[in-house]
Amino acid sequence: MADAGGMRGPIEDYGRGRIEDYALLWWLVIVVAVLSVLPIGRLLLEGIAPGGALSTEALRRVLSSPTTWTATGHSLVTALGGTLLAVLIGGTVALVVTLTDIRHRNVYIFCFVMPLLLAPQVVALAWLQLFGPSSPLLKMLGAAPPLGSRNPLYSPEGIILVLGVQYAPLVFLTLRAGLRTLPRELIEAGLSGGAGPLRVMRTIVLPLMMPPLLAGVALCFVSCLGNFGIPALLGIPGNYLVLPTLIYQRLAGLGPGALSEVAVLSVLIGFIAVIGIVAQDALLSRRDFRISTASVVASPFELRRWRLPVEVALWTLSFLVLALPMVALVLTSLVPAVGVPLDAATATLDNYRFVLFDHAAAKRALVNSFGLSATAAIAIVLFAIPLAYFLVWRRSRLLRVVNLVTEVPYALPGVVLAIAAILLFLKPLPIVGVSIYNTVWIILFCYLARFLVLGLRPVISGYHQLDRTLEEAAQIAGARLLRRLRTIILPLVAPAAAAGALLIFLTAFNELTVSALLWSSGSETLGVVFFSFQQGGDSTYAAALGVLTVVVSIALMLSTLLMAGRLPPGVLPWRD
Amino acid sequence: MNLVSRSSFIVAALVASVFAASPIEAQEVKGKLVLYTSQPERDASQTVAAFKRVQPGVDVEVFRSGTTEVMGKLAAEFAGGQPRADVLLLADAATMEALKKDARLLNYREAKVEGLEPSTYDADRTYFGSKLITTGIAVNTAAKLRPTSWADLAKPEYKGQIAMPSPLYSGAAAIMLGTMTSRPDLGWGFFEKLKAADAVAVRGNGAVMTAVANGEKSYGVLVDFMAFNAKAKGSPIDFIFPSEGLPAVTEPVAILRTTQNAAAARAFVDFILSDEGQKLAVSMGYIPARASVGMPSWYPAGAKINLMPTDIPKVVQSNSTNLKRFAELFGN
Repeated sequence: MADAGGMRGPIEDYGRGRIEDYALLWWLVIVVAVLSVLPIGRLLLEGIAPGGALSTEALRRVLSSPTTWTATGHSLVTALGGTLLAVLIGGTVALVVTLTDIRHRNVYIFCFVMPLLLAPQVVALAWLQLFGPSSPLLKMLGAAPPLGSRNPLYSPEGIILVLGVQYAPLVFLTLRAGLRTLPRELIEAGLSGGAGPLRVMRTIVLPLMMPPLLAGVALCFVSCLGNFGIPALLGIPGNYLVLPTLIYQRLAGLGPGALSEVAVLSVLIGFIAVIGIVAQDALLSRRDFRISTASVVASPFELRRWRLPVEVALWTLSFLVLALPMVALVLTSLVPAVGVPLDAATATLDNYRFVLFDHAAAKRALVNSFGLSATAAIAIVLFAIPLAYFLVWRRSRLLRVVNLVTEVPYALPGVVLAIAAILLFLKPLPIVGVSIYNTVWIILFCYLARFLVLGLRPVISGYHQLDRTLEEAAQIAGARLLRRLRTIILPLVAPAAAAGALLIFLTAFNELTVSALLWSSGSETLGVVFFSFQQGGDSTYAAALGVLTVVVSIALMLSTLLMAGRLPPGVLPWRD
Repeated sequence: MNLVSRSSFIVAALVASVFAASPIEAQEVKGKLVLYTSQPERDASQTVAAFKRVQPGVDVEVFRSGTTEVMGKLAAEFAGGQPRADVLLLADAATMEALKKDARLLNYREAKVEGLEPSTYDADRTYFGSKLITTGIAVNTAAKLRPTSWADLAKPEYKGQIAMPSPLYSGAAAIMLGTMTSRPDLGWGFFEKLKAADAVAVRGNGAVMTAVANGEKSYGVLVDFMAFNAKAKGSPIDFIFPSEGLPAVTEPVAILRTTQNAAAARAFVDFILSDEGQKLAVSMGYIPARASVGMPSWYPAGAKINLMPTDIPKVVQSNSTNLKRFAELFGN
């Protein structure tokens, strides 16, 4: 009898394991459906059947308008240009910082990632001032252009430049996570075989790094495509219309049917984003990127006499991208009013006093934004690890669709996702009868939907680089899927997952466009308060809040070093 | 009909339908009131605080954002069949006119409009201007030239130095466009000259203010209070009243038909139009709709500001053609 039980056990176990697999899969699919398909579907309904009656009026009007296609063309130009620049900057920096012997590596990585925390508008504004006639720096050098000269950033090139700089850390973080699984032996083999460093880079490193690189490219592309802040600041004065600004324009001139037109335009953006992912998939499916050993690569290339010039180049970049906007922000936060020259007599801490003590919402916003972005980052990554397991290793038509739809909420302008969420949650939830409208939960829902892809792409690229034999061995040994995920896979994809979580946290922390429509008293976010100040002409308060945000975030990021010892290796990008 | 508290809604409605001819005088209103507004944040919180001093029984919930964001939220709520707002306090009459056309606004026939300029409120009493926000010329104090008229801005000396809010992204700027293009002395020719002078249209008044105060542009087409508030805080900015006159928006207040608390909503409108509410607007730096309560401190003493009359229905009607023409002219 004991014998018979022994015979039956594994088979029964296998069957139960399969049921569990399916249960997990369907649970994942349902969550994606709720987060991604539901909002898109509701929006689509508004586009083709406003008020419940089928009408192709909006569709016809949008698709026949030449403005739509001008904006689409411009969107493609800026998104592709911005992505290219971001890949050049972020990719080069990731390779140099990880694979060479530059000094102060960890500090540099920290500084390179920081700009993600500055709202795109802040960076763009700082650069506008930098190149403009009132530039404090150019004035100091006596080289300020005369009053009235046109700012060169008000142009498509300006938009591409700021987009590329803003999103370079996306490529950097995904690629760095990938590089940390690169086995040292491969590079050493190449080098001892007589290949030069550049040849090793071209024939060994880059081919193996395609999954994380492409994940970074894909993230950059949707980020640039859906970005509103930069083209709004630089494109509106330069008369350069892109899809997100066109959508905002339609919303501003709210006539009858505007919502339907907005919905149709949004679907157009979603469509472009999906094409981008299909292209990425096609590139990835042709090859095998698995890496079987995991000895951590440790700066194999010595730069020798090139080390100093490379270091100077890197720090110059950080100076332009991080230090300059930060200095501009700090200077603005210290003057009593916009345009007052800063000197010993005018300098004041009043703006900080106001933001910290007189303005109740600013403090609440800091707490809310921290809670929302940390929750979103952790929840998404924990969800992305099992989801990516199925997406990479159990491919099916359904899963391919799942992979595509996760992209859309991030590609839509935030204001549109917010409108979709309002349409969905205006009435109390069915069955439970509770309403999340006008609470912080509707913002959390949107963050989960919107930033899912930021966590998913790096994790997927992590799977692409995993050799599955370990997991299969565990499966043969009888470990169920959840257990394999926890004990085998989690430690191996942890660096990629951590990069994703960091991306989500930094992006959500000062997110504006979604919460601008969804906040209610008590659930303010940092972006909302920042926007309120700026819109009312109180740029000095906005600057003080911006500086505080950065200071708090730096403290949070540094505090991660305290628990570094307990984390799997390679999880913190700024720690070797 | 004035006394409709939510708890006794049915009874009150019955009573009201019987005694409609003799409205009961409101003593005190209660319950929740939801306000959607595009006022600057500080103004919004001051307005609510002052209203609560008059009506302590009302619990006011505020949603404040840009006009476009407020209207976007409202449009989504309409589409979802359940608008949550009771009262609106929004930048311009054109937006209100569009809502009125969609039958979204409640008539408040008993509103106390005595002493208000008739052009500031809707003849059907669905929306009521709360103040006058004029648009003039802001000048950086370091600028060499001082324009005295709109026409001056079109001169070659000003080339490349002008910022203005884009009517494509701001309802108030769209009214300005409609008002100025319909005048024989300015018309579209004026905007064509502005374009030829490389004027840039930015996303909103806040951006114009920052550009002029920073010296990025020497001149800006800007609303009065923003220039004067910045000047009071020390920004190097002046405000000029152009000789042709100034277009103005009225930041109207209105009640939604679907309001859940009509009594409190009416009390809010009463407060905004009352001497007290109007004085509050003056203290925040606005020209009040009720001239009798005084003028803000920046107002030129003894002078009368020359306002450009705006034909709201006409502006609304020609709005989409205007915006299209503007977009073509300025390059989009």
